[in-house]
Amino acid sequence: MVMERIIETDSPEAFIEEIEKVQDVLPKRIDANPKNVEKGLARLVLTLIELIRKLLEKQAMRRVAGGSLSDEEIEKVGLTLLKLENKMKELKEIFGLKDEELNLNLGPLGDLI
Amino acid sequence: MKIYAYGIIDSHHRLEEPIAGLYGKVIYNVSYRDIAVAVSELNEETKKIIDACILEHEKVVERLMIKFTVLPMRFLTVLNTREELLSMVEFYYEDFKDNLARLHNKVEFGIKVIWPADTIKKRITDAYHKTIRVSLPTEPPGKIFLEEKFKKYIIDKEFQEEADRCVIVVDDYFNKIAVEKKLKRLQTESLLLNASYLVDKDRQNEFSQAFEQLKNASSELKFLFSGPWPCYNFVTLTKGPAPVDYFNPGDILDRLLKPQEQ
Repeated sequence: MVMERIIETDSPEAFIEEIEKVQDVLPKRIDANPKNVEKGLARLVLTLIELIRKLLEKQAMRRVAGGSLSDEEIEKVGLTLLKLENKMKELKEIFGLKDEELNLNLGPLGDLI
Repeated sequence: MKIYAYGIIDSHHRLEEPIAGLYGKVIYNVSYRDIAVAVSELNEETKKIIDACILEHEKVVERLMIKFTVLPMRFLTVLNTREELLSMVEFYYEDFKDNLARLHNKVEFGIKVIWPADTIKKRITDAYHKTIRVSLPTEPPGKIFLEEKFKKYIIDKEFQEEADRCVIVVDDYFNKIAVEKKLKRLQTESLLLNASYLVDKDRQNEFSQAFEQLKNASSELKFLFSGPWPCYNFVTLTKGPAPVDYFNPGDILDRLLKPQEQ
């Protein structure tokens, strides 16, 4: 015997908001059409660059946490990451892309951003 | 004329009671060996099937569940011909049989948990500032940038670990009652847990009581409990991905919950 359906919460608005956020994280596919092909491709390329940048950043964090970087190396790595981040900001502005548009679903690893 | 599919059932006999499907069309069986697909005919273009029809889809699955074990299919599963439908069932027949046996007498429950993400982040940040030296503005820019990034990295890491600990506590209430579970952690910063649990029909009350206990024990957390549902999230196909993803709709329960809450 199946019991009657229960839907119970004290905070329906809060859950609706979160469900909408989850559903709106990203469009499921690159929207490339003759009118916006440039932006569509830029989005794809910048997403991949962002993935690589995040991986570099994570690697750097692990090395900082491990204490294996000298002061000189810290400055060098920091400056490189700073310049990379600034360059990405510039490119995003040029193509009118927002952070949340440069996202990738990495399966079991979750989303890129 | 296309075919709209609602679910796979563990019977190849004709449906005895008439059930109305999308746009009032009668549900009938397309059988293959000892199982069948519950379908109705579809004149409308798929694009024109509106979101509100999701409730009708759900109602059909629930009606079928009264008499049969059902593998509920994704909302908007449309096949072009009877042959296409039969070839899909033939291909996945063994998988369908395994799933029908596994999901016999089972239902699904959903638990969503919101936690006070901002308060927790602030607590972690305050603790971080007490233990780590903050770099001075006179220091080289690369170092300042890297230290800022490192601070964010440590706070995020601690936030994730705190979420892991909290999910274990929540899951512990249901772990022994459920036969299977799917846990999605931190889909957003505030949505700590979005969980689906597969539960024996005769343990539903026990599951609901476990939720009441959890609710009474946690003042910081907000909960959304729902169920029993058809087993939308627990159909597993081992024969590789279907050409079209017919099962595991993922967000169907979220879509069903929204209109009922508003």
